[in-house]
Amino acid sequence: MTEKARKHGPWRLALAGGALLGLVAVTGCSANTSTPTLTWYINPDNGGQATIAEQCTAEADGAYRISTSLLPNDAPSQREQLIRRLASADSSIDIMSLDPVYVAEMANADYLAPVPEEYVGEFTDGVIPSSVESSTRQDVLVAAPFWANTQLLWYRKSVAEAAGLDMSQPVTWDEIIEAADSQDKRVGVQGIRAESLTVWINAMVESAGGQIVENPDADSPDQVRLGLDSEAGRSAAGIMERIAETGVGGPALSNLDENGAMLEFQSDDGGFMVNWPFIYSASQAAVEDGSLDQAVLDDIGWTLYPRVDEGQESRPPLGGINLGVGAFSENPDLAFQAVQCIRSPEKQSAYFLTDGNAPSNLAAFDDPEVREAFPAAPVIAESLQVSAARPLTPYYNEVTGGIQKSWHPPEAVRPDSTPARSQEFILEILKGERLL
Amino acid sequence: MKAKVSNRQRGETRLGWMLSAPAVIILLAVTGYPILQAVYFSFFNYRMTDPDNRFVNWGQNYIVILTDPLWWQTVGVTLLLTVVTVAVELVLGFALALVMLNALKAVRPWVRTAILIPYGIITVVAAFSWKYAFDLGTGFVGTWLSMPAFDWFGDFWSSFIVICAAEIWKTTPFISLLLLSGLAQIPSDMLEAATVDGATWWQRMWKVIIPNMKAAIMVALLFRTLDAFRVFDSVFVMTAGAQNTATVSFLTYNQSIGQLQLGMGSALSVLLFLSVALICFIFIKFFKVDLAQARGE
Amino acid sequence: MSGRKHTVWWIVISLVVAVYALFPVVWIVSLSLKSPGDIANKQFWPTAIDWSNYELIFTGAAKDLFLPALVNSIGICLIATVIAVVLATLTAYAVARLDFPGKKLILTMALAVSIFPVISLVTPLFRIWSAIGLYDTWAGLIIPYLSLTLPISIWTLAAFFRQIPWELEQAAQVDGATSFQAFRKVIVPLAAPGVFTTAIIAFFIAWNDFVYGISLTSTSAARPVPAALSFFTGASQFEEPAGAISAAAIVVTIPIIIIVLLFQRQIVSGLTSGAVKG
Repeated sequence: MTEKARKHGPWRLALAGGALLGLVAVTGCSANTSTPTLTWYINPDNGGQATIAEQCTAEADGAYRISTSLLPNDAPSQREQLIRRLASADSSIDIMSLDPVYVAEMANADYLAPVPEEYVGEFTDGVIPSSVESSTRQDVLVAAPFWANTQLLWYRKSVAEAAGLDMSQPVTWDEIIEAADSQDKRVGVQGIRAESLTVWINAMVESAGGQIVENPDADSPDQVRLGLDSEAGRSAAGIMERIAETGVGGPALSNLDENGAMLEFQSDDGGFMVNWPFIYSASQAAVEDGSLDQAVLDDIGWTLYPRVDEGQESRPPLGGINLGVGAFSENPDLAFQAVQCIRSPEKQSAYFLTDGNAPSNLAAFDDPEVREAFPAAPVIAESLQVSAARPLTPYYNEVTGGIQKSWHPPEAVRPDSTPARSQEFILEILKGERLL
Repeated sequence: MKAKVSNRQRGETRLGWMLSAPAVIILLAVTGYPILQAVYFSFFNYRMTDPDNRFVNWGQNYIVILTDPLWWQTVGVTLLLTVVTVAVELVLGFALALVMLNALKAVRPWVRTAILIPYGIITVVAAFSWKYAFDLGTGFVGTWLSMPAFDWFGDFWSSFIVICAAEIWKTTPFISLLLLSGLAQIPSDMLEAATVDGATWWQRMWKVIIPNMKAAIMVALLFRTLDAFRVFDSVFVMTAGAQNTATVSFLTYNQSIGQLQLGMGSALSVLLFLSVALICFIFIKFFKVDLAQARGE
Repeated sequence: MSGRKHTVWWIVISLVVAVYALFPVVWIVSLSLKSPGDIANKQFWPTAIDWSNYELIFTGAAKDLFLPALVNSIGICLIATVIAVVLATLTAYAVARLDFPGKKLILTMALAVSIFPVISLVTPLFRIWSAIGLYDTWAGLIIPYLSLTLPISIWTLAAFFRQIPWELEQAAQVDGATSFQAFRKVIVPLAAPGVFTTAIIAFFIAWNDFVYGISLTSTSAARPVPAALSFFTGASQFEEPAGAISAAAIVVTIPIIIIVLLFQRQIVSGLTSGAVKG
């Protein structure tokens, strides 16, 4: 177009076309320096990852430079952004902060460089088992566990006491629902149609001894076997039904996310809540800026995730971030060196202290500073060790989408029909016979 | 002499196309080529992260979509949203246009300025504003209506009402401006004659004003209907499709960008495109909207 | 007496219109001025005015997210506006002034493009952009923005140009100027107000885009503000920063309000002449 326009004369055309061309040129090239720059796509945090990037750049002493690039706030959008780039074989992706649930999908599409043999030991020894599991695809380590997250059961000591519930012993969902109901208080959960709903349902299904996906290694969508239509699935649905029926879920149940649940928990209606560890620091911050009474903070207690059956240990949710190296990176060796630096236990502890994100290396929990800053640290460590990852299938996106569609709103969940219908629905989606 | 004219004519044709070429090429490149590609991919089972399982499935995507209740549900929601918002906007926009036409000279610029703010504001910003106003965590609406525990985004109808309200707020100014220019075209002697004949305000409205504005009303209706049918931003921000508020655009986005199901997403894109074309066709064919005439051709 | 009653009535009605138009804007201003402790107080007004949300996006933790997005938005929208207006001016001139086969076709095509569902284009565009390296670049957004801004610019400008007294151009041509010279020397100054108005409308449209912004970018290299709003995060990933989002929303609304205040008359005439004869 530009050529033609020039030939025919009108200078305006040439100018416009030239401007377009110039833009392409300007945005297409980058500065050439002798030190290779590794781009690390990070999820939003308190700035801790950017700090680590600077530290590792300094420590690398000219071997590489790490620059960070920010991903969206929620995990599904992070996946969208990364996959869109990886699908076009983008070599600018060196290191990625990945939500564990998308590791399988990316590995299956060959978007992740497998971890070289020499690092495997270091990246897995003394690391939370479910974190390692979520970094592994078909027995190959494809990502490095960085930090790990888990949900705890948060409770208001006064409410538990008034209801006569002994929180030093493991409690069940039924017990906390009953206790909250008797005190006219709430049980905070994440009932919003979002990833957090799957987090909740998966934890209940796993705690009941079930599994949402029975064969995560399957790599064709029509071979995926689901375990939702099972005793465990029905137990999970039963708990949701009771939370909705008794009203302890509160009026916003079907829209409650982590933040909403926390605000409700901090209010006078607060009784119990399953949520991530940010609750404690967020409540501390609220006391500091004057929007929350110190008395409320003092009233907050925490323990392991509630059980489904009295006799069976709970399997709390696993979250966090695993570090993946892009398959199209021009410097995979340097990228793994950088990953080694980023996830070193000292940096993990420091990151815990600055950003409140728990380490995946158990040793990092023994740091006395950590123990002091995070009174909940020992329970977090304990919870992480029994935590269960969400299904590690390459088709996770369809599975979680199907769950969010068929188990929402929580008020409509029925144990005798929801799990069965949900299973059928997801299988149809996987076969490409339904829309999501 | 004749040759001279046709020579001049040839020059004019050449110049005309030369001047138009850049715009035409860009428009074709940015819409024509992509839509052809969408048609092509719509015949594949193609998931971007699973290229090994990509194959031609000959229209299966269309069959799945057209037999899926979800598609018809999103079509229903989209149509309902279109009808409700456009109807309200037409009435409200007409009232606003009358205000602008008749307002005192001193306040007229201010009224116009106020009205242009919703028009100019970014849709996403407007959606956030309405969302936060009704949201249980931040919203004042619950406090004002003394229903602090009511979750507006907790079921279909209340979410739908908030989405409609945000859309109506944002786009009524545009419709009112289109109607205003229609109003301004009505010959004033016609209205005076009607007044002299003793026609009431209501009679003048129905017998003189509205018939004379038919073209303007139809154009406004067509533009807004097409716009409303493509609604995406508000739904994305306010409910992300929860409580069955997904629209056709949202479903398409979700399938192609969210799920990376390029085959199915392309098929949805094609269907969305055809729906819009159908609406346009219906307006032009059955409501006799003559865009060329309305546009002063 | 009746005159004064009339006046009072009109003032009341105008106030109602102003409240209607400004309410959501004032609300988000109010929200952006709330302190973190105030955000969830469910009241319309803040208990005390607090600038921390603005500090957050301009100098605080969110600045690396917000400032590049602001630069992208301004740069991309301005360039897209300039290109659209220049190209549309040429096309509209041809359509309004010259008689040549195919001009109806051009107008119809512009109209057809303007009704195109953006969502239908996003997936194929994304694939093409990835393949040719335009993904996540300024040009990768400017080109699709042209598909939004060109059609309305062509229509609006064509309407403006039809009202220009073209005899002047003929006079210039008689004096020996070519068509193109006549266009440049005589018509351009006459057409400037229409071109300017069109530029404002085109800018609004580009500024409003969200779908292309979220779909065709992935870093701060090209991400515009509307897309960046969903990237804001609170102290932890689970806390939604309503205050920061509101502050950013206000920052991108200010240019709109300034333009509207300065040029309301032109915008109204542009919007109405482009769509309906006026």
